[in-house]
Amino acid sequence: MPMTDNSAAKTGAATEGARARDRLALLTADNASVPLPAGVQAVTAILLAALLIALPWLGLGYRFLSIAITTLYTAIGLYGLGLQFGQAGIMSVGHAALMGVGAYASAILSVQLGLGFWTSLPFAMALSAIVGGVIGLPTLRVGGQHYIIITFCFCALFVIVLTNGGTFTGSATGLDVGSVTPLPGINFDKLSNNYYLVLAALFLALAATYLIGISRYGRTLRAIRENEQLARSVGINVDLHKLGVLMVSGLFAGLAGVLQLYYLRHISPTLFGAFPSLYLALMVMLGGARYLYGPLIGAVIVNFLPEVLNLDPVDSRIAYGVCLLLVILLLPGGVAAGIKNIYCALAGGFDRQGGGLNGRA
Amino acid sequence: MDIFVQQLVNSLSVASVTILIGIGITLIFGLAGIVNFAHGEFLMVGGMATWFMVGAGMNFFVALVFAGLLVGALGFAAERCLFRFTLNRPMNGFIMSIGLSVILQHAIIRVFNEFQKSITDPVGLVWTIGGVDIIAMRAIVVAITAVIVAITYFGISRSRYGMALRASVSDRDTAELMGIPVRRYVTGVFIYGSLLAGIGGALMISLFPITPFTGSVIIIRGFAVSLIGGLGNVGGAVVGGLVLGLVDGLSAGYGYPEWTDAYSLVVMILILVLRPQGLLGGTLGPKAS
Repeated sequence: MPMTDNSAAKTGAATEGARARDRLALLTADNASVPLPAGVQAVTAILLAALLIALPWLGLGYRFLSIAITTLYTAIGLYGLGLQFGQAGIMSVGHAALMGVGAYASAILSVQLGLGFWTSLPFAMALSAIVGGVIGLPTLRVGGQHYIIITFCFCALFVIVLTNGGTFTGSATGLDVGSVTPLPGINFDKLSNNYYLVLAALFLALAATYLIGISRYGRTLRAIRENEQLARSVGINVDLHKLGVLMVSGLFAGLAGVLQLYYLRHISPTLFGAFPSLYLALMVMLGGARYLYGPLIGAVIVNFLPEVLNLDPVDSRIAYGVCLLLVILLLPGGVAAGIKNIYCALAGGFDRQGGGLNGRA
Repeated sequence: MDIFVQQLVNSLSVASVTILIGIGITLIFGLAGIVNFAHGEFLMVGGMATWFMVGAGMNFFVALVFAGLLVGALGFAAERCLFRFTLNRPMNGFIMSIGLSVILQHAIIRVFNEFQKSITDPVGLVWTIGGVDIIAMRAIVVAITAVIVAITYFGISRSRYGMALRASVSDRDTAELMGIPVRRYVTGVFIYGSLLAGIGGALMISLFPITPFTGSVIIIRGFAVSLIGGLGNVGGAVVGGLVLGLVDGLSAGYGYPEWTDAYSLVVMILILVLRPQGLLGGTLGPKAS
């Protein structure tokens, strides 16, 4: 008799363990393709937009707003990286250099030809897109990791070229620009107006990412990510799409770079070197590349964490490293995946068999 | 002519360190399938440990062995605690190694400081051969590297362990069915590569001063060497290291020194694009996820 009791207890423990494992699996599951109900999506978007718009009025101070601007323009660049990595599966660790192409193009146009923010922006974005496509050419020939190393080389090369560029690129000291050309009634020298300028660009980036995500184009990119051979066999022009997404990513990077230039008013090569590039890769992985708000979450965490924890630079770097390891080990899909999973678990509508939401719209 | 020979000897000793890190990367990347971006930091930790031990009064060559063992242990810990979990998702492993590299770099800054460290020449002899001054330590660095290269080369290509290792790279499942403990081999390769990085770091600090940021500079060189030669190909890493070391050494002496780094980057991009399998051929590395 005790035997059966014991075994019953054992089975009980086993199912308990299995249930705990199930719960853990639910939290770490990759749910990027599971759509949330349209209502939830709309409410999230409106709340987030309201929060971001209200931010300068919350009286959080000059320093907070400065970090917020940094976060937002970084996030714009990250949406490009999120698109190419999250949707098409092409990672790059030279993305800061692509932002640098935009920033330097705009700065050089300003110094040499006297073009202002608005007139140089289209040229800078176009140049970033073209450079993005050109660096992307090797990805047609070589696979993932080789391409990553090529992007890293490009980034290092870009910094060397800038540093040796003489007065044209301002060498190691870099270049200075004036302020954003004022629109009627709006002077961008005021920090909160600069914030709204960057925020408007972020909304554009978000909208573009959302639209690409739900469109046929986004589905094509995901098909390439999941199985390139299969995508090719059903008649998708894989090469064209890969170059295309890298160029779109370059557009985002160019926009982010120009915004960075006109916020800092001074750029130097080190801003676009290997380390900033690695941090961009870190942020996008941390936040979750496949999620609409993932890149934004990653940028917020990395930019605000040292501030919140009040760490000195060395400790904050160590904290980044540890965070990154923990996220990759525990939440391979990024923080956004964790948040979405927790929401699904709390909402209780998670259908275990189907793996989808019961109340999906 | 004398200056040219001297440049050549100097380049050769610099190339030795590059070859050591290149072999480590080529084995870990090409055979174990792990892209370890923290490998340069392993080298730096080896150099810093040597600096610390020599500063505490230890003989350099004893410190070299200890630095190798220490970094080997570090590699073991990293493989068991981190990379083991991402073997099926190499991209995640790569990102994680970036995190590890940042941690190691700043942990060293926290423990010591960010200034450059150097040790006095442990041998302190200069040989004059045919009018060419050769610093004895540089010759010793080249000799140690040559011995390590020979051991690694024959270990991989001739011994049964090397054969089992190559079998598990070409077909993991079949190798497992043949009774090869593939996972243990992955760990072993990782430890061996890390050990070489530790020795490389010790040799490096005997040649020139290093800072906590040396690792992130040299890592790209290591990847260049391993990719130029062909992943998993020890001979290729030697060829790659020599090419890169000579290009560097000679361009520093004759070309435009401010473009030194650019040459190796351009060579690397060209080879990656034109011959992704490397000059001497190798595995294409793990499949990208």
